[in-house]
Amino acid sequence: MGIELVDPVDWDSITEQIDIEFGEGTTKALLGDRVPVKIAKEKSIIFYAIPMDWMTRLTEVSEELDFQFIGKELGTLEKGRFRLGLQVLSELAKITHSFIIVSKKAAEAFTYGRSIIRESVLELNPSLVRGQRVLVLNKNRECLGMASLSVDAAKLLRLGGDRLVAKNLVDVGWFLRRLG
Amino acid sequence: MSNKELRERAKQLAREHGYLQYMIERYISLWGEEETLKFIEACEQPIRTSIRVNTLKISITTIPNRLRDKGVALERIPWLDEGFYADYGDSSPGALLEHMLGFYYIQGVPSMTAVHVLDPQPGETVLDLAAAPGGKTTHIAQIMKNTGMVVAVEQDRQRMTSLRSNIIRCGATNTLVLRGDARKLDHLPFKPDRILLDAPCSGEGLIPLDPSRKTSKTMADIRFCATREDEMLEAAVNALAEGGTMVYSTCSIAPEENEYIIDDILKRHPEMELVRIPTEFGSPGYSEPYGVQLNKSLTLARRFLPHLHGTEGFFICKMMKRRRTSDGD
Repeated sequence: MGIELVDPVDWDSITEQIDIEFGEGTTKALLGDRVPVKIAKEKSIIFYAIPMDWMTRLTEVSEELDFQFIGKELGTLEKGRFRLGLQVLSELAKITHSFIIVSKKAAEAFTYGRSIIRESVLELNPSLVRGQRVLVLNKNRECLGMASLSVDAAKLLRLGGDRLVAKNLVDVGWFLRRLG
Repeated sequence: MSNKELRERAKQLAREHGYLQYMIERYISLWGEEETLKFIEACEQPIRTSIRVNTLKISITTIPNRLRDKGVALERIPWLDEGFYADYGDSSPGALLEHMLGFYYIQGVPSMTAVHVLDPQPGETVLDLAAAPGGKTTHIAQIMKNTGMVVAVEQDRQRMTSLRSNIIRCGATNTLVLRGDARKLDHLPFKPDRILLDAPCSGEGLIPLDPSRKTSKTMADIRFCATREDEMLEAAVNALAEGGTMVYSTCSIAPEENEYIIDDILKRHPEMELVRIPTEFGSPGYSEPYGVQLNKSLTLARRFLPHLHGTEGFFICKMMKRRRTSDGD
């Protein structure tokens, strides 16, 4: 598999998807002084951010090498939807307001693939809306993964303790479950 | 001890302790009977769990308190700033949140030491051959503070998954992972400043961790591994930049996979020389295993042995590639 530079139009579309959910300028901050490249898989495209000088060192021989991973994994585009990769979530946690902070017990359960219920929520920005993706943080503000809000945050206080608030999309326990 | 006596005694010990006879014969030839018995006994003892703190994610001073709160007792490894022996009691080292967050990597002391010996520097280009599952790749990235480029080469598709996963978990962002045969490095578009070849081996040092190794490999398997190790090291030597550093390591205690391989490389490549490892650990490599005279500088290599160091068996050798002088020598 070779690496390719990302078409600016495609990148604009991805930037829009990330920035809508995590705030204006988020993609630019995640990219820093790196450039986006992509590696095409069977049904998806994985995007990475690499230092500028790597491109000149690698593009000429790109076809002769079987690239599996390069630099920082930004995320995956599948069926037109971009999903951020686990590698950038802790970085994202420092720059976005789209997060939910959960109790110690819920944090542990989340890393085992569980979703978040009302009684576990310690903090949630009231401007966030149903369907929006949010980072899930523990009390130390360490990023445990990402979830999709099942309700508007403004309605949180009206919910019963056992009602679903955010559905687990990806969590750091994936490393353990994937590798055993 | 005559050859006949040696074979008889080896046969008897092999039967008593569940080893293949050829292994015990070699151990007695290398160390004598008394030390062989100590080795056999040590292989029945568990190896202490050890972890490497991932300074890309957390400071070395923070992690002991966090783990202590979870009932984990840590003890520093003297020659490794980021290395700790870790007693997890009843909990599983891989199941703690701190592990999932990439704050530490569960790694054997010899493996951490191999990267320490490589001594990668920020900004360099470093090649890690046969890189999966990524313990050494992520360690190199950590020491280089995510600068420069760590090129990890791995051929096995299944093991590629664990390599990618560990790179992501540990937050290494300066790695390039290539799938390919480490014996074919002609296409690499750069000359690495340093190369780590922790070669796939017969695993004869892993008996304390995997007792099935006492009977699972024949001498033919060791020869097969030695041939592959020789080919990989040859390719690595050719790929290395002049003035570059190479570390060759295996988790085998077999001289056939270690000192013999290095001795051959030194004969074929006069530009390569062994260099002293400044850190104190393990014991010297062998320059006369089984009575065979090898390059004397092999005593600069280091060995970990279960009965002497309480670790799995391991071999580490550091070499440098001399720069050519202006008249081509």
